[in-house]
Amino acid sequence: MTGFLVRRLGQSAIVVLGVTIITFVLTRLLPGGVARAILGSRASPIEIAQFNHDNGLDLPGWQQYFYYLVQLIHGNLGFSYRLNESVGGLLQDHLPKTIILLGISTLLALAIAVPLGMMQAVRRNKLEDYFFTSLSFALYSMPPFWLALILIIFFSANLNILPPVGPQGAISTYLDPAQISALVLPVAALALVTIALFSRYMRSSMLDNLVQDYVRTARAKGVSTSGVLYRHVLRNALIPIVTLLGLSLPGIFSGALITEAIFNYPGMGLLFWDSAQTRDYPVLLGVTVVVAVATVVGNLLADVFYAVVDPRVRIAA
Amino acid sequence: MSVRAPVTELENLTPGGVPVVVEGGEAKVTGSAWKLAAYVFLENRLAVLGLAFVILVVLFCFVGPLIYRTDQINTDITQITQAPSAAHPLGTDNVGYDVLGRLMVGGQTSLEIGLIAALLATTFGVLWGAVAGFVGGWLDQLMMRIVDSLLAIPTLFLLLVLAAMFVPSVPMLIFIVALVAWLVPARLIRGETLSLRSREFVDAVRVMGGSDFRIVLRHIIPNTIGTIMVNATFQVADAILTIAALSFLGLGVPPPATNWGGMLSDGVSYTFAGYWWLIYPAGLAIVITVVAFNLIGDAMRDAFEVRLQRR
Repeated sequence: MTGFLVRRLGQSAIVVLGVTIITFVLTRLLPGGVARAILGSRASPIEIAQFNHDNGLDLPGWQQYFYYLVQLIHGNLGFSYRLNESVGGLLQDHLPKTIILLGISTLLALAIAVPLGMMQAVRRNKLEDYFFTSLSFALYSMPPFWLALILIIFFSANLNILPPVGPQGAISTYLDPAQISALVLPVAALALVTIALFSRYMRSSMLDNLVQDYVRTARAKGVSTSGVLYRHVLRNALIPIVTLLGLSLPGIFSGALITEAIFNYPGMGLLFWDSAQTRDYPVLLGVTVVVAVATVVGNLLADVFYAVVDPRVRIAA
Repeated sequence: MSVRAPVTELENLTPGGVPVVVEGGEAKVTGSAWKLAAYVFLENRLAVLGLAFVILVVLFCFVGPLIYRTDQINTDITQITQAPSAAHPLGTDNVGYDVLGRLMVGGQTSLEIGLIAALLATTFGVLWGAVAGFVGGWLDQLMMRIVDSLLAIPTLFLLLVLAAMFVPSVPMLIFIVALVAWLVPARLIRGETLSLRSREFVDAVRVMGGSDFRIVLRHIIPNTIGTIMVNATFQVADAILTIAALSFLGLGVPPPATNWGGMLSDGVSYTFAGYWWLIYPAGLAIVITVVAFNLIGDAMRDAFEVRLQRR
């Protein structure tokens, strides 16, 4: 187990380093150079020289990267001249809001997708299975922003029962009765796509386990149908779902970006989108590093969990 | 004969490939591996439906404008956001373009970007994965860590950074989408190459004096064709969705060019005005095309993977 952990941690560290190299290369590719991109086209040569010196941009390439890495390790993600705030400070404000949105929608998606996939596996090739399979296929093929738009048209424009804009103001007020209805549509838009994905995997994971020998053995020993289903099959079928959760983190982050952009939900995705439109590169690259590291850590946790609950993984790896 | 040929209903074939006469006296279809794969594919009614939809969409986008002529270059401010009528079956948009005609023009861009980006990404990814898997050692480690690192950055974030940095035009968008999409085929093909490179036929080629170059291009990659084609189909669907999302977020092709995502982006401001023709047609066009490509991909997976043919 220790060997597995060390190897897996090493891999993650290398991937994180790789991500910093990519973002570093991206900063070098900025049109007109970093200083021009950040200070704007009207910056004087003296300002640019000063900026380059302050940020170590007059050093050789590998030293620049090293400098960049040291800054990152110290938690210095850059400074947004456009918003006149450090990227770290902006993230402190926006990241918790994204976590609320992602947390609620992912938990909700799991709470619905797991029983749904289980039901589909048990009643496979029956009417209800076909119905939900087609439904998730349609949801899965739908552009997430279009789904969100339809939700807005239906619940906000036609029925006028839910606000089309996400909650605003301080994060502590998000769960207040006055604001909570604003959370419904963003959460639903994100959760529906995740449900479609997870229920498909849950269904096939259940099907894989239902034909295993241990199910027959348990049945032969007189365990009831529901006993086999809940105590044995469900527990084994859930294991790959944890890995899937880790693997779909990048997709979930991308979904949050779109959802936040549509509902004007003031999280990290909206911050990122606004920055993309105003070409605020420090924010773009800083957020990219944070999201990528979160993805790597999520994958690592999922893998470690997998190894803890399933000894076969440890032995094989 | 090729051992790994995707063969339908393996149990009905004797080792020589001669079909066993099944009950009812009917001989099963026989022929080349490709023929058999095509047979399984065509047996799948959903796949045929998907294929039919793709053909319809292509005809609609590329032949449609020849029959249904509209001005998609000059705006007409006297004719904005008109409801569907005889003159404009799907109404007009916020600058007076006919929506039905725009759907065709936008579809051309969506399909072109989707197909070319998928082709580029697949070609590059396959070569990358095959080389990494075949050569192995530190080069494999280096190449795959590059893939891992790029995969760690959520697609849309990477795309938005790139789209913000480089002025989007159609070729640039194709390049940007392909830059993000080649990672998955690279991983898949590397995995297959790892298991293929220790096969006897690779040794045989080497004994006969074939170069590494020849082994990879003529023997390893052709043996992964099933995976390549299935993945390429899904790549097209993904690329169409990606390009739509990018355009929706305002970083797509500049007007008067457009694509389905861009049309939706223009229609968003009229959500509360009840102008449904600015939102449903473009969205449905995306859904139909993506579903069609996904159905084809699913069916091809069934046709190529012998393991799954039990279903």
